[in-house]
Formats: sequence, C-alpha cells, structure tokens
Amino acid sequence: MSLRSVSILLWLMVVLSALIQVGTVHWQRSLMQAWAAEDAHRAQLQQEYSRLLLERGTLTAHGRIDQQARKKLNMTEPDKVQVLSQ
Amino acid sequence: MNAQPNQTEEVKGIARWRFTLVMAVFACLIAAVLVRLVVLHTIEQPFLFEQGEKRTVREEVQPAMRGMITDRYDKPLAVSTPVMNLWVNPQQVNLQQIPLVARDLGLSSVRLAKKIERAASQGRSFVYLKRQVEPEVANVLLGRRIAGVYGEDDFRRFYPAAEVTAHTVGIVNIDGCGQEGLELAYDQFLQGHEGSRQVVKDLYGNVVKQLKVNSVAKPGHDMALTLDLRLQYLAYRELKAAVSQHHAKSGAAVLLDAHSGEVLALVGQPSYNPNNRAGLKAEYMRNRAIADLIEPGSTMKPFTVAAALESGRYFPDTEVDTAPGYVRVKNKTIRDHRNYGVLDVTGIITKSSNVGVTFLSAQMGAETIWEFLTRAGIGQATALGFPGEAVGSLPYPEQMDALRLATVSYGYGLSVSPLQLAHAYTAFTQGGCIKPMRLLLNQEASADCERVMSAKVARQVLNMLETVTSDIGTGRRARVDGYRVGGKTGTAHKVGQQGYEDDEYTAVFAGVAPISDPDLVLVVVIDSPQGKEYYGGEVAAPVFSRIMEQSLRLRQVAPDDGKMPVLQMAGGDQ
Repeated sequence: MSLRSVSILLWLMVVLSALIQVGTVHWQRSLMQAWAAEDAHRAQLQQEYSRLLLERGTLTAHGRIDQQARKKLNMTEPDKVQVLSQ
Repeated sequence: MNAQPNQTEEVKGIARWRFTLVMAVFACLIAAVLVRLVVLHTIEQPFLFEQGEKRTVREEVQPAMRGMITDRYDKPLAVSTPVMNLWVNPQQVNLQQIPLVARDLGLSSVRLAKKIERAASQGRSFVYLKRQVEPEVANVLLGRRIAGVYGEDDFRRFYPAAEVTAHTVGIVNIDGCGQEGLELAYDQFLQGHEGSRQVVKDLYGNVVKQLKVNSVAKPGHDMALTLDLRLQYLAYRELKAAVSQHHAKSGAAVLLDAHSGEVLALVGQPSYNPNNRAGLKAEYMRNRAIADLIEPGSTMKPFTVAAALESGRYFPDTEVDTAPGYVRVKNKTIRDHRNYGVLDVTGIITKSSNVGVTFLSAQMGAETIWEFLTRAGIGQATALGFPGEAVGSLPYPEQMDALRLATVSYGYGLSVSPLQLAHAYTAFTQGGCIKPMRLLLNQEASADCERVMSAKVARQVLNMLETVTSDIGTGRRARVDGYRVGGKTGTAHKVGQQGYEDDEYTAVFAGVAPISDPDLVLVVVIDSPQGKEYYGGEVAAPVFSRIMEQSLRLRQVAPDDGKMPVLQMAGGDQ
C-alpha cells in the first residue's frame, strides 16, 4: 500500500470520527433534554402527590368525620351500649 | 504593455517599492494576528477558559426532599412540598417590568422597585423576590421570560395537624433545618443529602450539557410515630377546653398504650400553629408533657403502697390506724382532709390519706422506697431522644430524713414530667414489669422489661385504683360509662418565691382503663387552675373521663363493667 492511499484512508477516518462526534453530542443533548423533561414531570407529580396527601389528611381528619356523621347523617353515640360476643 | 513602454517604465519604477511596502505591511499585520493568536492560545488561555466557563458552566444544587413524618396509621403530620424561590438579578432587570413582577407575586410594586434599585446601586446581583412560592404562581411569572428573574427549586414544610401535634413534631426553619421537637431530634435522619452537578446553560437558563455529577440528591427518610392522630385530636380538644374553662396557665395530657408503652397522644397547652408563625411566643413552644416538671402529689401514693405490698409485710386488707388525722414528723404536721380513723391499705388509696402513706413509708425505710421509685423510672431520663426532655429528680436515700421520706411518699419533694408519670403507671398495667417507652413506630420493640413489682401486686394496686372512682373515692368524676376505670387524683401546691404557694395548684389525674384488662394509661395535668375548683378530682378528673371515654370507643375496647347487656351473636361459632 502506498503512502498516498494510507493518508487518504486516515483522512477519511478523521472525517468519519468527526461526524460521529457531532452525532453523539447531538444525541447526548437530546437525551439530556428528555431527562430534564422527565425530571420536571417527576417534580410535578411529587408536588401533586404531597398536595393530595395533605388533602386526604384534611378530608379524613377525625374531627371532620365526626362532625359530618353528626350533622349530615344524624348519627349519635349509642345510648344503651350492647356488647356483641361470639 | 509594449504599446506604451515609457509609461510602463515609469509605473514599474514606482510599483516596486510600493509593492514591497504594501506586502511588508500585510506581512506585519499577519504576523501581529499570528502573535495575538499564539498569545491567546498559550499565555492567556487559562484565564480565558476560566472566564468562558464562568459564563456558561453552572454549579446546580438540587435540594433533597425532607422525609415525611406520619402517625401510626400513615396520616401525615409533616410533609414537604416542592415550592420555588424566586430571585432577581438587579443588574439585568428592566425597571419598567417590575410592576408586572410585583402583581404576579402580590407584592407592593413601589416597595419592590425601591428594593431592587437600591440593590442595583450597591452592585449586588442577587436579591430574593419571594421565597417559597407555590409552583403554579412561580411558573406563570417565569413563563413571561422577564430578563433577570430566576427561580430555584426548594421545599416547604406543611403540618396538616397544625397546633395539635406542634409540640411533638416540632418545626423547621425556612432553610429546612429542624428547630424544635422531633424535627430537631431526628434532623439528620429526615434531611437527606442534596445533590449537585455541573451543567452548561444557554442564555435562557436551559440546561444544554451536563458536565459532571458531584452527588445525586438523596431524599430523607420517612418516619412513622406511634401517635394516633385521632386520639391526639380529641385529647387536644378536651385539654384545650379544660384549660380555657379553668383559666389555667398551661396543661398537658399523655396517653400511653398500657401493654406496650407506646405513646398514643402527647398534647400540651398553650400551643401554636407551625404553619403560620406570626405572633408566636416562645412560651407557646414549650412541650408541657415532656419539658415541664411537676410535683406529682398524691398520684405517687400508689407507688408507696405498691412498695409496701411488695415487701410482703402488708396486704390490701391490712389495717392501718390513721387517727387522729394528723401526724407530726420533725416539727411539721402532716394532715389528712379529716380523721379517717382505721383504714385498710386499699382505703389509704381510696381516701388519699397522707397519714397512711407516711406510716407505710416510715415502715419501709428510705432505701426501699427510693429503689422502688427508681425502678419505676422516677427521676430517670425517659430516653425518647427529645430535645429539652426533663429528667426530673428524686432525692437519694441519704438525703431523705424522716420528713423528706414522708413527703416523697405522698408526692412532694420530687419532680417528674407528665410523660414520666404516665410511663411509671404502665408498671401496674404491664404486670409489674415496665417496658421502655416508644415514640417511633419502626423502632425495634424490645422484649426486655424492668421488673418493678410482682404481677400479683400490680393487680392488687389496679383494684385499689378502681376504688378511687367509686362513690366513696376522690376521683368520682373520672368515671366512664360502661368501663371499670381506676386512677389517682393529685393536687400539688406550686412552688413560688417563698416556698409553697397557698393558692397556686397543679391538678393532676393519672389513671388506667379498663381495669379488667388495661388498654390505656392517661395522665392529665392542669397547671394553675384559677377559680373555685382546683383539686385534681375536680379539674383533671373530668378531662380524664372525657378523653378516656372517646379513646376507648375509638379503639373499640369492649365495655367491662358487666352492666351492659351482652348479645350472643347467632352462629358466631361457625
């Protein structure tokens, strides 16, 4: 193989690897963007989760259930306690 | 060219030196550019590189989410939610856009403009607009892409149960560090590690390239407490009502699981709202159930009596003569309410006879009493790991002369926290063997227990405690319909500037229910009730009754007084 063909081959390899690098950088950045979007989504879900958690805590608070049972459902404590036994 | 040789000759002559000159100038220019290039690439390269990095590479800190605190049934007591801190670079911001920013955030436009102008004139490049803004609001503002306005992620702590659990759970400061209560005690455990990474950002602050991840954000651990929020709520409600009804200075209630020693409710008054700290006074933050020491008064008598029973020399029906209703010990007269005459040991508890327990303690000796109380945890650290946890005090046997011994036997001259008192009472409900108290649910439950008295004596004392709520006892108002309830009243004079105050009291009730198979131990302390009623049996016992009644029903404990009709369920055996 002549020196000329070797140098052409090397040149081709250089050009090829440069193109590959451009491609990978682009790929990496688009992955980064996708990750950032997912991360933002995660944060949003986390925020929603903690909001729902707080909401559930408020809605199921013992005092509130107690009041609703008394007012809306007209429930009272049993006057005459009866013990059921098996 | 040949057509005008003369002219050519002339032009050629001029052109030679001009050409050389122009070429030389060009060569110089190229050389200058080359020199500059070399200088930039070699000598100035590190500086320029650094400057370039400074403009594009950002160190980004990702805050770690703080762990959640829940009760035993996963009800949230402290939750972190993502929020945003908004800040502005006064050098970059356009002053005409400030009213827009202020309107979005609900701030005063004039004041904000002044603040930013002042910061800009001082050459500052970072001013917080508003911290801990809800993400919805922040995203609207950031969506406008106003130059110089930035946001960073942060977390804010919410306490859904607010003042009901404020003392136990505690609070964090704006930077998310524990300040009080369990938030402080388990700060490291809850906190987690924040992450940091190096990124390249474009003009709009979007991440273009991630260069290096120094550490990944690790959220804090969640923590489950043994508290039952339902019981906590109702204990708080009843305590608050009693404290305001009697115009008391403060109050505390401690509810323990009688079998395991787990803390089910721990409330104090006055309390505060940890979500809104405006107008917060430091004294409101004091955890009355853990940090306050009280003289337990007569609620100590069951321990003196238990020590006497444990010695084997006394039995519940052994008779003790308390006539004439007072006894002189070293120049001091110890009195009963009236002359009870001959009482058996049970009667001493029923009537709360000071003379009776003085006699018993004198027979036992200081050493025995001290050892007994120490084993029951009086004057010992409760080791919940709580900041500001009071240890209490119990005089050593060498410090106890006849008078000191007598006063200790009915609960003066020693101090305990309400929590310690409740824990000591679990000795009676756990068959005489006391288990360590627990506030964290996932903590390993130790099977070890400290033997305080025999199971037989514990049962005998429980039966004696039941007589206190009978018609002839001092704690009638602690009764709960359907259940056998036992307990002991206590009224202690408060210590003031000149010894014991005559008209300042601490009303205490410590009790157990149901007696047949104890499920709950409850201690109620009302400090300095103002008014005609101040006895433990008048002030604390009704609160005990109300909390106990609702707690037993919530925990679905079967009534045990035998007066309730029992229905046999059909086919229950199949």
